This record gives sequence, C-alpha cells and structure tokens, in this order.
Amino acid sequence: MADKMDFSDILASTLHDTKNSLGLLFNNLEDIISGCRGQKCPACMEFYKLQYEIKRLNHSFIRLLSLYKAEKSQLAFNIDYHSIREVLEDAAVQHEALLNAKGIEIEINCSSSLFWAFDRNLIAGVLDNIINNCFRYTKEKVRISSFMTNGYLVIRIEDDGPGYPSSMLFNEDSNPQFEKGIDFRTGSTGLGIYFSVMVASLHVNNGRSGFISITNGGQLNGGVFSLYLP
Amino acid sequence: MAIYKKPNFQRELNLKSKKVLVVDDFLNFRLTLKNMLRSFDVIHLDDAGNGDDAIRKMAAGKYDIILCDYNLGEGKSGQQVLEEGKFRGYINYSTIFVMITAENSLEMIMGAAEYQPDDYLIKPFAKEILGNKIKQLIERKENLSAIEKSLAAENFSEALQLCDLLIKKSPRNLSEILKMKGEILLKKGAYKEAAEFYNRMLLMGNVSWVMIGRGKTALLAGQYAEAKDIFEHILEKNDKVMPAYDYLAQTLLKMNDPQAAQEVMMNAVSISPRAILRQKNLGNLAYRNEDYFTAETAYKATVAQGKHSCFKSPSDYTSLAKTMVQMDNPEAGLDVLASARQVFPEDNEAKLHVRVTESYVYKKLNRTEDAVKALNEAQKIVEDYDGSLPADLQLDLARTYIINGDDKKGSELIRRILRDNHDDNEMLDNVRLVFRETGMADEGRKIIEDVREEIFGLNNAGVKLAQDGKLAEAIAYFEEAALQLPQNKIINANTAQVLMLYMQENGSDEERLSDVKIYLDRVKKADENFKDLPLLWTMYNGLISGGDHG
Repeated sequence: MADKMDFSDILASTLHDTKNSLGLLFNNLEDIISGCRGQKCPACMEFYKLQYEIKRLNHSFIRLLSLYKAEKSQLAFNIDYHSIREVLEDAAVQHEALLNAKGIEIEINCSSSLFWAFDRNLIAGVLDNIINNCFRYTKEKVRISSFMTNGYLVIRIEDDGPGYPSSMLFNEDSNPQFEKGIDFRTGSTGLGIYFSVMVASLHVNNGRSGFISITNGGQLNGGVFSLYLP
Repeated sequence: MAIYKKPNFQRELNLKSKKVLVVDDFLNFRLTLKNMLRSFDVIHLDDAGNGDDAIRKMAAGKYDIILCDYNLGEGKSGQQVLEEGKFRGYINYSTIFVMITAENSLEMIMGAAEYQPDDYLIKPFAKEILGNKIKQLIERKENLSAIEKSLAAENFSEALQLCDLLIKKSPRNLSEILKMKGEILLKKGAYKEAAEFYNRMLLMGNVSWVMIGRGKTALLAGQYAEAKDIFEHILEKNDKVMPAYDYLAQTLLKMNDPQAAQEVMMNAVSISPRAILRQKNLGNLAYRNEDYFTAETAYKATVAQGKHSCFKSPSDYTSLAKTMVQMDNPEAGLDVLASARQVFPEDNEAKLHVRVTESYVYKKLNRTEDAVKALNEAQKIVEDYDGSLPADLQLDLARTYIINGDDKKGSELIRRILRDNHDDNEMLDNVRLVFRETGMADEGRKIIEDVREEIFGLNNAGVKLAQDGKLAEAIAYFEEAALQLPQNKIINANTAQVLMLYMQENGSDEERLSDVKIYLDRVKKADENFKDLPLLWTMYNGLISGGDHG
C-alpha cells in the first residue's frame, strides 16, 4: 500500500491545481469583458461581479498557500527597497477597471520619493485583498495613502462605505505590542486578518515588528485598514 | 501631493516597434497573452510552446521583450530558458525578460543573482497589469542604458558618476541603481568606499543583497574572518538566501578550510537541490576532500539536472566516472562515459574528455590495451585541436599519461599547466591531488616549486627593467613572456602595465592601446577578481580619454 500522505500536502496540491483552473477562468473572462466593454453590453456589470468573485477566490488561495508554505518553512521572503508609489499604483491598476465599472474611484496619496524595505509580493497580497473587497463595501471612493510615523511606514486604505463590523475591528490603538487571538468562528474574514498579521509581523527591523490595525472613521468616514512596517 | 490619474494604456503604451516572444506550454494562455499584446499594437509577435523552441526562436533573431512561463512542463524550465538565453548572448542588458509564475514560489529567489529575470508576473493578471509592468521595465532599461555602456567599456569612474546622478533623482528603480553602484565600487576595487556604502544602506533595513554586498566587500578586501561572520549572520537570519552559501564556501576556501566549505555547500543543496552549478561545485569540493560518497551524489545530481541546462558539460560525466572509480565501481564509470558520448556526439572537446577518462578507467580495470588505445585516440584529438584546452582537461590528460606509464609526458604537461596558473590555489590543489594519486607526491612538490620559482624569476626580471626606467626593454621582454605564457595573469597584467607606463610618458597610440585591451581581457578571463585589475582599467580609461583631448 502507498505511504499515507500528509493531509495538508494533499490540500496544498489540490489548491494549486484549482488555482491554475481559476487562472484560466479569469483570463477567459478578461477576453469576454474586453470584447463587450466596447459594445456597451448590458451584461458587462454581471461579468465584473464574476471577476470580483474569482479574484476573491484567488486571493484566498494565495493566502492559504502562503500560510501552508510558512508552516513548512517554504515561504519565499525577499526584502528589498521599493518605491511605495509604484507599489500602490500597481495595486490600484489591478482593481481599477473593476472598481471604476461600479463608479468607484481610487485615489493615491503618496510622495514619489518615499522608499522602504519590505517583501513586495507579500505586501501586495495584503493590499490586493483589501482593495478588492472595496468592490462590495465602498460607495464611490477608495483612498490609498502612505506616510511615515514614529519610524514606521504606514500604508492606509480608507473607503466611504459602512465601515468594518465591530467583530472585525483590530488593534484600534495602533499599538505594536497589541496581540489579539484570531477567532475563525466569527466568520470568513478571520483568515484575511490572520494573513495580514503574519505578513506584517514577518517584517522586523531594529528589534521592531510590523503590525496592522482595522478601524472605522478616517478621512472618508468608512473603513480604515492600516499596515505599519518598521 | 500627486493624485493618481487613471492611465490609459492603449494610448500611452505603444509597442509597435518591439519584437516580442511569448513562451508557455498552454496554447490557451499563449493566445490570451498575444491578444493582450496586440492591444498594445505589437506587430512582431512570436510564441513558443516549450523551452527548446523558445531558444531556437531567440537564436534566429533578437527579441526586445520575452514573456516566459516558469513552469513549461517536460523539458527546459523557464529559468533554464533565461539562463541559456543569457549564456548564449540572446538576452542582454537591453532585453526585457519577465518570468510568469502561477504563484509566489521559493525557487524564484533561489537562483544565482546573474540569472534573475527583470521582473515576475503572477498569474492570473489582467491586460492593464501587463501593460503597466512593461511600461515600468522600458523606463528602467532606459535609465540604466548609459551606465551599462560605461560598464561595458570598463569605465568605472564614469559609471559611478552616472549612478550618483540618477540616485539624486530617486527614480522608481532606485534599489536597482544602488545595487549597481555597490557592484561597481567592488569592481573598481574601492573596498573602503564600498564598505561605507553598504553600512549606510544597512541602516535602512535588512535587505539581503546589501548584506551580501557587505560580505563580498570583506571577502575581496581579504578580511576573511569578517566575511565569514557576515555570511553566517545572513544565513542565521534567513537560511534561504542562497548566494550567501556560495560566498561563505568561497571564504572558507580562502581560509584554507575545504572541509567546512564542503559542509556549507551540502547545507545549500539540501535546501535547494535544483541548482546545477551548486551541485557541480559541491562535487568538486568533495572530490578534492576525498569524500567520494558525497562527490558521487553531487555529480549524479549534476548530470541529471544537466539534461535541459546550458550548464551541462562533459566534465560532469567524467568527474562522475572518476568518482565511481574511487568508489570501486569502475564499470559504472564506463556506463556514465558511454552516455556522455551520446549527449555530446559532435563535440571534439567532449570526445577528448571522454577518451582521456576512459583510458583512466580501463587502466583501473587492468584493461591495459583498451587504456592505451583510448589514450592514443585522445592524443590524436589533441594534435588536431584548434585553440587552447581548458586547464582541468589538460590535467586529466596528464594524469592519464602518468598512470599509463608515461611519467615524462604527464609531468611535462603539468609543468605547462602550472606555468599558466602558478598562483591559482585551487589548481595547485588539484595538481597535488593528481601527484598524490599517482604516487608522485615528492616529485610533484619539487615540480611545483621549480615552476613557481621560474615564473617569479621571469616576472621579477621584467619588473626590474621597468623599475630601472628601461620601459622599451621591459615591453619587449614582457611581450615575449606573454607569448610564451598567454594565460598567465600576472605576466599579462604586467605586460599591459609596462605598455601603459610607456604611453603615459610618450603619448598613447591606437595599436598599443588595442594590445593593452587584449592583455587585460586575458587577465579578466583568467581571474575576474584579480587584485590589480581595477587599477589597470583605470589607467587604461585614463589613456583613452586623454587621447580624446589631443
């Protein structure tokens, strides 16, 4: 009889396979959307909704696979200096077509001379997830900003939606020492926060670790997600 | 504060003049990618479904942009396509190479630094993402091109000035330019400045290329204990920074600790086994340490991974065969050599490698007649061979002469190797190993001493002429010496230097300058990190720009 496989390995390889199919689905949908965008087709909005769900699934898979790799000490962690403006613009471009289709505008507020050391892929994974969710929860504006405070780089994503439910509020004091256990029973969002916390805390510099906070209010009086990097 | 404006890629990005190649094993994905590219007005658009086809197309004409999937199924991987493209010169600094992957994979950051793609795209991505990425990369290549040109001319001072000018503007690829600046400082031999530069950068965060740069600075400056500490510290923090293993092993070799160097490489391949050059290096280290068990495993991996790699070489097979002889399994060695013949059917150097090693293995099997026959065939190939043979192959040939009883021919050949490499410690170790294995240890020690004294004497006489101000005589003397020892780096470096000293006094001329370039290129080929090379290039560039002014 064959050796018994580790269940997490089976899950990971299945996820990997499913993610590839999802990629094909995404690209086919892209072709359809680009075809019907020009023709002012009424179904276009429905296709965008489909695309939003595919992206959501894709982000979940990326998170799961990253967590699996972290568990197996296989996670790629590659710190380099990056232009923050470029990283934020890349994140915006990812979601622009989708959000614009629903009348949501993305605004970036960040000096082009801001550079910081971090793992670009992991941080992009965190941002993608938050911005994609704006498709569902934002009315007309998303504001992405970045600045320095207390020696940390802050990347903040604010929207003008109803804000995060109280069960999701996290680390409202923006206190790096604050640690909150993740409760998966409260809903599907636990994994997203867990992933963001993990990615933030992987970033360590001069004895200080990265962290996140999730609050309500902000400049657009909606949800406010902040990522602090040392 | 700048507000993000919605970009319109169709209008901004025009790739009409660009030649683009798309490589993916999935027809469906190739079509999607090609549709995206056509919307950016790409006209010259090719695609390939596997690595071999990609290489064929790249050989037929240079591409400006290559989008290549990492996972190409059977055959070459995307990484191997990149390596071979760079290796064969189909991809140069102006080519944009983007690796497409299904996920953020560990293997992506495992490869050697000089074989990294310009950027990665993670599937799936929309057209806008692709357009944005290509636009950024075109900008990056444009702002680097002037620096690359001065580097190609070995004009380090100019390249550094260009870097500093760019850094002031803090372009988006600031990190890339900083990285380049550090490397140029090292090439220029400005170790103190390089150490300060990297120390300053480290204050901004633990970026692995900065720490590696700092370690390399110590290594090149000969501060081995410090270099060792730095590389060990990097690996303690993150055991996946693969280049740190390579440099740590190099440092340990400089510290005369080949055992420790081998252990470091063993750790490296256990973390990232799919790295042919590292496996090869481990095999060589273990063989020199006479740890044939480890050497065999590493060479087997090298041969297996070489199947689709441009880094495969006949010596992978002959090294494995030699190791199998040491493991008392010469028959298996013969099988390995037989497969080498099939892998390199037309290559004369490969034939020579194989024949020389076959003779060695036959001798170990007491098949004396076969051994002599193989050696005679090898000799025939050498006689017809055009150009100079690689030193390790010459050494194999010498060993085969000796074990077949022709000590005289063997040691004469070894003398020739030593004349070209009299101060290359690795080569000296290999020569000593051959002498030990053939029971000539004492005799060998004397041969090595003789040749070293001969070269020192030869060199010193020339240096004395130059010091006495007899530059014209020194030139004639060194040019003659360089003719005899075309691969010896010290002789070539000194020939270049006396020529340049002469021109500094008497004005430069085209013919001498082009001779200097030839000598310096020989030194660079023999040892890229030769300690006087930065100084010599600076002299050379001074003479060239001096010529421009009159």
